[in-house]
Amino acid sequence: MRAAIAGYLIFVVVLLGGWELAARLSAVDPDLLPPPAEVGAVLWQFLHDPRFLGDLALTANEVAAAFVIAAPLAVSTGFLLGERLHLAETFNPLVHFILAVPQSIFLPIFILAFGIGFLEKVLFGITHAYFVILINSFAAVRSIPRPLVTAARVFGATRAQIYTRIYLPAMLPLILTGLRLGMIFCIIGVLLAEMYASRRGIGQLIFDWGEGQQIPELLAGIVLISVLTIAVNELMRLAELRLAQFRAAAAAG
Amino acid sequence: MPIIEVSRLVKEFGAGRAPLRALDEVSFAVDKGRFVTLVGPSGCGKSTLLQILAGLTAPTRGEARIEGERVCGPMPGKVGMVFQDPTLLPWKTAFANVEFPLDLRGDDRPARRKRCAALLELVGLAEFADHYPHELSGGMRQRVAIARGLAQDPKLILMDEPFAALDEQTRTRMGHDLLDIWAATGKTVFFITHSLSEAIYLSDAVLVMSPRPGRIIDTIAIDFPRPRELDIIGSAAFGAIRNRIWHLISEAR
Amino acid sequence: MRRRALVKSLTVAAAIAAAWEAVVRSGLVSRIILAAPSDIVQAAASDGGVFLRAFATTLAEIGAAIVIAWTLGIVTGLIVGSSRRLAAATAPVLSSIFAVPLIVLYPLLMAWLGIGSLSKVAFGAFSGFFPIVLNTIDGVRAIEPRYLALARSIGATRLQTHARIVFPLALPAMVSGLRVGTGLVVIGVLVTEMLASLGGVGFLISYHRTLFDTGHVYFGMLLALLLAVAVNIGLTRLDRRIGRWQRREQAQE
Repeated sequence: MRAAIAGYLIFVVVLLGGWELAARLSAVDPDLLPPPAEVGAVLWQFLHDPRFLGDLALTANEVAAAFVIAAPLAVSTGFLLGERLHLAETFNPLVHFILAVPQSIFLPIFILAFGIGFLEKVLFGITHAYFVILINSFAAVRSIPRPLVTAARVFGATRAQIYTRIYLPAMLPLILTGLRLGMIFCIIGVLLAEMYASRRGIGQLIFDWGEGQQIPELLAGIVLISVLTIAVNELMRLAELRLAQFRAAAAAG
Repeated sequence: MPIIEVSRLVKEFGAGRAPLRALDEVSFAVDKGRFVTLVGPSGCGKSTLLQILAGLTAPTRGEARIEGERVCGPMPGKVGMVFQDPTLLPWKTAFANVEFPLDLRGDDRPARRKRCAALLELVGLAEFADHYPHELSGGMRQRVAIARGLAQDPKLILMDEPFAALDEQTRTRMGHDLLDIWAATGKTVFFITHSLSEAIYLSDAVLVMSPRPGRIIDTIAIDFPRPRELDIIGSAAFGAIRNRIWHLISEAR
Repeated sequence: MRRRALVKSLTVAAAIAAAWEAVVRSGLVSRIILAAPSDIVQAAASDGGVFLRAFATTLAEIGAAIVIAWTLGIVTGLIVGSSRRLAAATAPVLSSIFAVPLIVLYPLLMAWLGIGSLSKVAFGAFSGFFPIVLNTIDGVRAIEPRYLALARSIGATRLQTHARIVFPLALPAMVSGLRVGTGLVVIGVLVTEMLASLGGVGFLISYHRTLFDTGHVYFGMLLALLLAVAVNIGLTRLDRRIGRWQRREQAQE
């Protein structure tokens, strides 16, 4: 634990330090790598700029919408397939094929079919999140020790009790992991779609800055997105961890 | 000169106020060509002592000498080891596993192939030379480990409860076969076990170790004539020695 | 037997193609969104050469990125994994960075390295690096200490220990990382070609989308899919070969 924190600190220090150093040395073109302070200033301005915040909100909405739709669908499908194995066997090759294939390739089709608006972004995000969450939910159902269920039945547990007291706690860790990965994939999908073709949104801004060689703005955007996504990831991981501890305590109690 | 000389060996774990003392002023000597066993209850420190003799860990105080030379690290040409787990490399055949130390040492091919074939013959596994570890039983894997321990032609073999993981019948048979191997090669064997019967059956002398912190309570000479057959285990004399050792250990608690 | 299965598959494929053609021609789905098989064939016929050259470009970029990602990932993983402290400090940081949608870094690479192959290779290598290094670290950390004790006791040098014991033992975990990482390399290269490029399959897909040449778009996608599937099959084969002895070993225990 301590080593991990040390690792993070060292990494941040090295990154910022190296960045500052590289920017100061005239070896690197200041246009290509502006010093951290400059980027920080730009970022600060962005956070007060309503138009920027509007783009940020738009992207966030797209991600949220996609996730909120994909997650329950994927979890319930995973649950269904996990319970009805014969269905799973039919769909197994299809799902594996889809996973082996880079879904991002289909973006042009999405655009041809749905244009470049909110709907297209959300749909694209949904496809990215759906399969990851599905696989993990399926695994979650399969991971429930069968003897546990049998024992519960023998002791006269009702259906509801089996679901809440046995299934749910057993499945939760894998489902949470699936949700976390699904969120990451969803964000990737939405950002990619915005970068590729969009009128508004953070992804579109970043890509434009890249094309226009507006490095300070670009770096500011990258830093912001990195920090936000890492924060989301760590929060979800924390939730997973807390839940694991809660489960352990509940099992002991 | 004795091949092993241990003088006032102390081993403590953990610094600070209350270090754990595993070995408490252990002193003894082993003569060349003998089969000597160290016996003691679980946790008494016998494995730690072996690790020190093998040069894998350093003592806190005191010294260990092998052939007059102070032990500062492993001595591959002089000391061979057989661990409780055979620790064979799973991707190599039995033959390749035995050959491995010679390969690392850089011996030339024909010489080492000849030697390995002879060693596998010695441990009775000539027909299984091309088998992989997962195709061999526990007893057979340990035989390969013994052959490997002999590969670099060491003068001294250290064995750390090599048969502890085997079932009783296999274990007894392995002990019997080990004596044949020892007689054929003329090495010195320093053997560790917590089984009193095994110790008495195999050895010329038994060093009795107390529970933690371990020290040598007594040395018992075993005078049964060699070659020893398995039926001596049931004899009255055998039982008497066993009782004696048993009492020594119980009283030391 | 095989021939019958092949004939069966081909018949099914032909049937699907025919149905597909019918659906598109009937106007049920817009031809802009779903190209008919005949459109795809026509695209291949008229611009096959262009696509083939693009395919070669993409393949070269992927190849270069794979070499870089594999080498850097494995070597870094072996070095970091060999030290408990280093691994504890580094792995969480790497894992967190991996949560960031790496695609947002592409505009930076674009600004620095242009839109030629260099930025694609850099991005592809960067994407693939993380799963490889993380899995390699895990693989090395998971090696049981008894193997390292064995290495020391038979007098293996550091290099010998790393190359002949650590590397093979870590291989199954490593290959797992190579699978995921290589998949990300392929996606990374294709997606960045789609975003901004001078050549390659991704570029052609994007280009023809803007012209609403859906037949060409689908042909490009087909090539991209073939590439991804071929890479996946190759890696599965590798995974199977490497994992063979490990799975049998685990089954035995």
